[in-house]
Amino acid sequence: MQIVVDLNRCEGYAQCVFLAPKVFELHGEEALLYAPAPPAEQAERVRRAAAACPVQAILVGEQAGADAGTGAGADVR
Amino acid sequence: MSTETLLERINAYENRADPYPLYAELREHGVAQQNDGSYLVGTYHEIAALLHDPRISSDVRHRSTPDAARPDALPPSFIALDDPEHDRLRRLAMRPFGPPHSPGRVDALHEDIVEIARELTDGLRDRDRIDLVDDFAYPLPVTVICRLLGVPHEDMPELRGWTNTIIASLDHSPGEDPQEKQRAGTAARMAMGAYLGDLAERRRANPADDMISALVHDDGPEGRLDKPELMTTLTLLTIAGHETTVNLITNGMLTLLRHPEVLERLRREPELMPSAVEELLRYEPPVQMLPQRTPLTDIEVGGVIIPQGAPLFLMLASGNRDPLRFEDPDHFDPARRDNRHFGFGSGVHSCFGAPLARVETQVALAELLRRLDGPRLVEDPPPYRHSPILRGPRHLPIATDVRAGADA
Repeated sequence: MQIVVDLNRCEGYAQCVFLAPKVFELHGEEALLYAPAPPAEQAERVRRAAAACPVQAILVGEQAGADAGTGAGADVR
Repeated sequence: MSTETLLERINAYENRADPYPLYAELREHGVAQQNDGSYLVGTYHEIAALLHDPRISSDVRHRSTPDAARPDALPPSFIALDDPEHDRLRRLAMRPFGPPHSPGRVDALHEDIVEIARELTDGLRDRDRIDLVDDFAYPLPVTVICRLLGVPHEDMPELRGWTNTIIASLDHSPGEDPQEKQRAGTAARMAMGAYLGDLAERRRANPADDMISALVHDDGPEGRLDKPELMTTLTLLTIAGHETTVNLITNGMLTLLRHPEVLERLRREPELMPSAVEELLRYEPPVQMLPQRTPLTDIEVGGVIIPQGAPLFLMLASGNRDPLRFEDPDHFDPARRDNRHFGFGSGVHSCFGAPLARVETQVALAELLRRLDGPRLVEDPPPYRHSPILRGPRHLPIATDVRAGADA
């Protein structure tokens, strides 16, 4: 699984950090850090986090490789 | 029909089951001044702009109308304050609940929520008729919020009484004395605040593994909440922490039973549940409107000047059905994309407990779909609770097929 967060869209609501705290992390009050290739056991949490993002900034690609996270078309959530 | 009485019609109990035609009428007319001097905004883009506009206050003390004079001895909770006070209180309350200081709190509750949902559905096993509200949708979030905060479960009936009185004081219905409801609401707020303040004192002396203990022992750079702040903050978290989730779960099951093809699809594709819950938050949001915003200056919205101090109602549930924002908005689509709904509001006051509500509702609906055999509505529409603001069924009678033998 690969993820890309559009940090230009991110407004720091931090829903992803609540729902997948091992993958997404807040640095200070608003800056978001994340693991771009989280392990498979985090997949369900990552899908919940992506669905919950109020600004829909999280793109999830199930397959590792060039098709993941290259744009909206790679979002197979 | 004139839009000057739209709010009265939305508040009228006979329209509780289906307020959506009234919202369509509101969007058709744009910003609607009511005959009591308040203003309703029901279109998506205008609501979004106002939710992010610092000239719009959440503090009713800025109102020019007499109802601003709420005679509370307690300070307002952060939902009814503006920055910087709101920001300070919310950040202090967030420290034991979520990131950056407590990022794992909600995730750690997940297994507990699953277990609570399973225990509740175990109790439904041999029954061919249930009331989803009393048997499941109410006890689930109440048990969760008690466990999270550390409120003894046996005290919940008393808290339920105060909660109902406080919620009743939020809206005006024709023929009722608003002063009397306000007085009762104030008394309930005081009693609930005193109870929770005492509980916090006990946790200060004898900490337990709960959020209240973490809150009263937190020595962050900004210090701690003082006693009155603690009382109002804990009252807010307790009420908001279950009341709206009851309605979200109940509205969810009602919506799925009205759309059996979606219910079947979610059984086949459980990975769709997070997105289905987002759609539910758009389609049947438990908080229908934000009734206590006030412009700090004259402000133009959609060609109408809303004067400083006028009561301003942001009709979230109407914005969620705005065809200028959402394609086919009256269609319930569990896989809807680009779903920036107002189910949790937006901007600085966006729902504090949103991640918890999401997890609870995803778990609750998944468990109900897994365990209820052939569920169907007994009456449609079901009987609704009174509030037009925090809207949901009072009861949701469901008939099911009883399976012989042990459950899967």
